[in-house]
Amino acid sequence: MPNSLSGDTQSPNPTVPGLLQGVRVLDLTNYISGPYCTKLMATMGAEVIKVERPGAGDPIRQFGPFAKSIAGNKSSSSAESRILESGAWFLYLNTSKKSITLDLKSDEGHNVLGRLAQSSQILVESFAPGTMDSLNLGSAHLKELNPALVLTSISNYGQTGPHRDWKAAEINLYAAGGLMNITGEPDQEPLMEGAPLAQLGAGQNAFVASMAALMYAEETGEGQHIDVSIAEYATNILENALMQYSYSGQEFNRVGNRGYGRAAWGIYPCQDGYVGIIAGPDHRWPEMAAVMEREELADPRFGSRNGRMMNADEVDALMLPWLLEHDKVDIFKAGQEHGFGFAYVATMEDILDMEQLVSRNFFVDLEHPVAGNLKYPGPPISKISTGELDFEPWVYRRVPLLGEHTGEILCELGYSADEAEGLRNGGVI
Amino acid sequence: MNIKQPLENYRILDLSRIWAGPYCTKLLADLGAEVIKMESLSVYDSHRGPIAPARGIAAYPDGEPGEEPWNRNGWFNCLHFSKYGVTLELTSQEGQAVFEKLVSVSDVLIENFRQGSLARLGYDYDALKKSRPDLIYVSMPAFGNDGPWQSYLAYGIGQEQLSGMAHMTGYAGDGPMKSGINHGDPITGSHAAGVVLAALRHRRRTGKGMFIDVSQQESAVSLIGAEVLAFQISGQEPERNGNHSPRVAPHNAYPCLGEDRWITIAVTNDQQWRALAGLVAGSGLATNLATNLASDPRFDTNEGRLGNQDDLDEIISRWTESQDAFKLAERLQEVGVPSSPVLRGPDLLEDAHYKDRDTFVAVDHPHVGVRKYPGIPWKMSVTPGQIRWASPALGQHNRQIYGQLLGLTEPEIMELEETGVIGDKPTGSRII
Repeated sequence: MPNSLSGDTQSPNPTVPGLLQGVRVLDLTNYISGPYCTKLMATMGAEVIKVERPGAGDPIRQFGPFAKSIAGNKSSSSAESRILESGAWFLYLNTSKKSITLDLKSDEGHNVLGRLAQSSQILVESFAPGTMDSLNLGSAHLKELNPALVLTSISNYGQTGPHRDWKAAEINLYAAGGLMNITGEPDQEPLMEGAPLAQLGAGQNAFVASMAALMYAEETGEGQHIDVSIAEYATNILENALMQYSYSGQEFNRVGNRGYGRAAWGIYPCQDGYVGIIAGPDHRWPEMAAVMEREELADPRFGSRNGRMMNADEVDALMLPWLLEHDKVDIFKAGQEHGFGFAYVATMEDILDMEQLVSRNFFVDLEHPVAGNLKYPGPPISKISTGELDFEPWVYRRVPLLGEHTGEILCELGYSADEAEGLRNGGVI
Repeated sequence: MNIKQPLENYRILDLSRIWAGPYCTKLLADLGAEVIKMESLSVYDSHRGPIAPARGIAAYPDGEPGEEPWNRNGWFNCLHFSKYGVTLELTSQEGQAVFEKLVSVSDVLIENFRQGSLARLGYDYDALKKSRPDLIYVSMPAFGNDGPWQSYLAYGIGQEQLSGMAHMTGYAGDGPMKSGINHGDPITGSHAAGVVLAALRHRRRTGKGMFIDVSQQESAVSLIGAEVLAFQISGQEPERNGNHSPRVAPHNAYPCLGEDRWITIAVTNDQQWRALAGLVAGSGLATNLATNLASDPRFDTNEGRLGNQDDLDEIISRWTESQDAFKLAERLQEVGVPSSPVLRGPDLLEDAHYKDRDTFVAVDHPHVGVRKYPGIPWKMSVTPGQIRWASPALGQHNRQIYGQLLGLTEPEIMELEETGVIGDKPTGSRII
């Protein structure tokens, strides 16, 4: 284990746990998609070294809200550190990673990165296509340095193709990937989702492909280059919206909250928010009418999926009084107790209090020197067991401060304290 | 293809249905795994649709369900390429004997039944390990395998709501909006696929299998974690912003020439703003607002644009509404402004960029013919993988798997067929 220059980030457990223990990942990603990919790796115990620009770091550090100044941290310089270190997005997307700062355009920075690439199994980058080449860090060069290295590139449109260099924000990728056309009300404009799910999902898939390539490299000694496009990811999850055009030439149009041409299947208002109603199979419709305490709903006209669709407004109107008289959790449970897959639209406050998540110890409390103590959603698949008590699949540590591990990593590479100081003065780190 | 694939030595026994589990095993099949999709003749994967659907449903080729509609449904056929399809009645003793044999030769077992269903048949993890001591067992019920909600049901649409995703989608002042897909499903499938790979690697190093208890809900919540932290920091719930961004403006979908044609534009810095304003000013748009866009002090800074974005949106809409979305996006990209037309189904399949990358692939399905499908969602330089065959018909590979792989004799297979334990014609279907 390398010398620690920052005792508070180290687990008290002398053996670092995690499914990916011993895997080193060099992380040249910024913003959302790449960092979510490497967050998954880090949370599984890989040593993820996030390489950031000296001074500013990952631009997502600037995404608020920022934690309020905590006690004992009120100097004027703390305002700057608050912005750099305590933005909610950075805090979430970079847990369990190490941070070093490095000017990749400087000779010495390039040299340090090359040496780290030699000791890493995976390098993930999310620059605009061509940037790695211009930094003299293209796939051919990296392969020379480390033939077994898995190089994973995540970009908007991929490393090839006529739109390779197109600029995009999430809304553009959502539009290009076909998801936007099918979200929203039919008589309004296409709508993007509030969460950046195209970028996050592409990061997830990049993790999957990287893991497979790692296994392949460990078996054969041969690394490879993985090209993940965020827009392309979106086209992969269109389900029937694409298939019905491919199969029968019929376009799939926006349906608002009435999902997939069904009535009593979507989001409805209730006393204290919104609930998700799922009608269930036709033969169970009378029971659903009973749950909603409305005899009129049991009308045989509504007994079939088609019948409900043809009379959708009437069905909705009959459901509404019961919905508006009950609160979301009661409606959810009333449906579930009868075997209907009801849901409710959870707020962030609801999520933090949700009895199921609390019962499974999903949230992790992490203390951060600038952001203080917060409850973090835990790993996406929290419970993994081998039946052995000492097995810890996940590693959860607070995010690193900008450049927090630069000294540690340089020391490992054999730089003396004086040499490191020289790099610092030269703006390389 | 002779190139070795990362997962070609791994066998996945896949009892999962609908989307979350099947997307997980689709990704594993894309990486070369041998996936055996097992279905029941009485309760087959409901993505195959009803036994006797009405004509005209667009999920079937040309709206025609045909003689065997369960083999012709696009929902199903886009998710099971390169998998083997077998049928088995797990509730029968004979079926259980075959099942245990299959488990004994499988590396991974994956299911997304209602919580506890497999255990009620006698197959909890400890029992399964008797057939295969180093088995990796992935159980993915809606809410995980313990806790007060363990027996509850939820589909992808419900997970969008319970994870907070729906809460932040929609317009200010209006209610939450569902996404166009069941977004809870593919994200859980992808999370599970990644964990399965890490588990396989761990087993390779230690010889130990594991039990992976997937809560689809936890998987969905973990994607919106930044907003959970933001709420704790600010005390503010995320706002529904429509297509607006809380950080930059303009940022929206704008109408273009033609029916239901839209372009998305997102200006993320002042340089992009000047480029956009320059294009609008040079367009000869018959409004003095447009010509003054670049010099209007209200729009000078990002802060100003955010504060006046409804006015800004109106001007931009008047500029875009007479233009072709595709040509306009090209022009905006030429000057460095993030933009894209809103692509519809036909646009996706015709798109020059996606064609160049083979994003969609033509697959010949014996019950359907040649149609386009979404392909493998990444490009790998050494092990690119390929779609090896079309999604299996119900029970298509019974003989191959039970005969060649498990070594059952032809009379044994015929007896299983005669007693309805296996087969290729459904005996019922429960469709949600």
